[in-house]
Amino acid sequence: MAMLEVKNLCAFYGKAQALSDVSISVEQGETIAIVGANGAGKSTLLDSVMGLVKNTGSIHLDGQDITGKKTGHMVRAGIGYAPERFNLFPHMTVRDNLMVGAYTARTDIKKNMAAVHRLFPRLAERESQETSTQSGGERQMVSLGRALMSSPRVLLVDEPTIGLAPKVVGEIAAVLKRLSAELGLTVIITEQNANFALSLASRLYVLEGGHVTATGTADELSKDDQLAKSYFGA
Amino acid sequence: MMQIIVQGLLLSGLYALIAMGFMLIFSIGRTLNLAYGAYIMVGGYIYFWLSQQLGMPKIVGFAGAVMVGALMGFLKHRLIVKPLKGDAVAVEISTLILAIIMQSVMVLVFGDASKILLPIIPGVVTVAGAQVTFNILAATVMSWIIIAALYAFVRGTHIGRAMQAVSMDEKGAAISGVDPDKINMITWAISGALGAAGGVFFASYTQLSPQMWVAPVIISIAIVIVGGIGSIIGTLIVAHIIGFLEVSIVALWAPELRGVFTMLLIIGVLVMRPQGLFGREEH
Repeated sequence: MAMLEVKNLCAFYGKAQALSDVSISVEQGETIAIVGANGAGKSTLLDSVMGLVKNTGSIHLDGQDITGKKTGHMVRAGIGYAPERFNLFPHMTVRDNLMVGAYTARTDIKKNMAAVHRLFPRLAERESQETSTQSGGERQMVSLGRALMSSPRVLLVDEPTIGLAPKVVGEIAAVLKRLSAELGLTVIITEQNANFALSLASRLYVLEGGHVTATGTADELSKDDQLAKSYFGA
Repeated sequence: MMQIIVQGLLLSGLYALIAMGFMLIFSIGRTLNLAYGAYIMVGGYIYFWLSQQLGMPKIVGFAGAVMVGALMGFLKHRLIVKPLKGDAVAVEISTLILAIIMQSVMVLVFGDASKILLPIIPGVVTVAGAQVTFNILAATVMSWIIIAALYAFVRGTHIGRAMQAVSMDEKGAAISGVDPDKINMITWAISGALGAAGGVFFASYTQLSPQMWVAPVIISIAIVIVGGIGSIIGTLIVAHIIGFLEVSIVALWAPELRGVFTMLLIIGVLVMRPQGLFGREEH
């Protein structure tokens, strides 16, 4: 049984349709990536799973139907989300940002805070700093940390490398690998940088114009000349 | 001089209490709640009705006023603010209309004439040579206790942090499992309770009348604009600036000019520092 299964998802902004019949599934402990250009619908897909965008179709988490539930329910059910723009609380400290992430998992605060500090030692050092004064890389760490504070089983990470320096991208990639290896998390990453996605994910979905146009492992997708040219720089 | 310091300190405490609930809604709900004065007015009248007309203990009158204020805030959110979400002008006009309706209801129930609210604690004490009523002293002490409790609640509890989070980034709060609607509802109820508590003390400081809701709204707007959005400490400090300014003008110059300098301060801050003295620029 898939840990998260999305079937025939259509998403709408008012009357405009942003996603058409998108189906994806991810197994327990697996990392998959959704790749696509700007405007392909990657963020909309993750926002829809979180119940932030009006949608139709079905969403199952570990066999449980969570279709149409509110965002708070998705978080309590075990889905964590680190969005592309972080959506942090700029005038709150790092610690308070993480504590807001623990809103639905209050009994796990000590354990989760220790895990976040283990993954991102810098956050422990700067826990009294306001996030408005932090670098992009540090904000990404707070965003991931905040999502982890809710004790998720599935973590959605929207474009984790966008706008970050290469060194920081390496640090984030290392942490994302540890999430599934050490914590057993199921991870869905969206990326424009398909090579980065390949370094983390076992399978990829290609999203174009709100449709899934291809899916498979890196080997399978690289055999398609058009895809290889568009996404893998071949 | 000592009289000015003591009176300024006491008036400032009362102003801080009155403005705190208004600031919460302005910061978290992003609404200029022009009906905030209605909580103050109704709070005063409920206390008057329970403790003076029905003869109940003063603490029951105070608790009743706070509960009715909280209920008003809750209902206003559910029936007006939530359905009109996203239309700030409609919300502001609706809340203003509601305040006028509440004024008419108070006239209908209690009559148009002003009423004297008996001192919550009768008696007079001399503080540093200045004559001070126990009533205003109690109001100030209660203000400080309520403000300290509010500060601890907002900074140190999950719901308090969620209130701050919703005010800064609603999507960020939602993906953390916070229900912004629920937090807004709680905020409106707390604001109503604070307004009603302030109303009891304000009415005992001035007098009870159906028109009494206007002055506290103007004071609250002044304090929040000068202090800036989202700062409890800023609200507290500016309440003291305005309190001392008013007491000094009345004592040293002319009582008729009492509110004029506060208005000039608002204009000055709006021109020179629109985010307020202690507010932060919006991101």
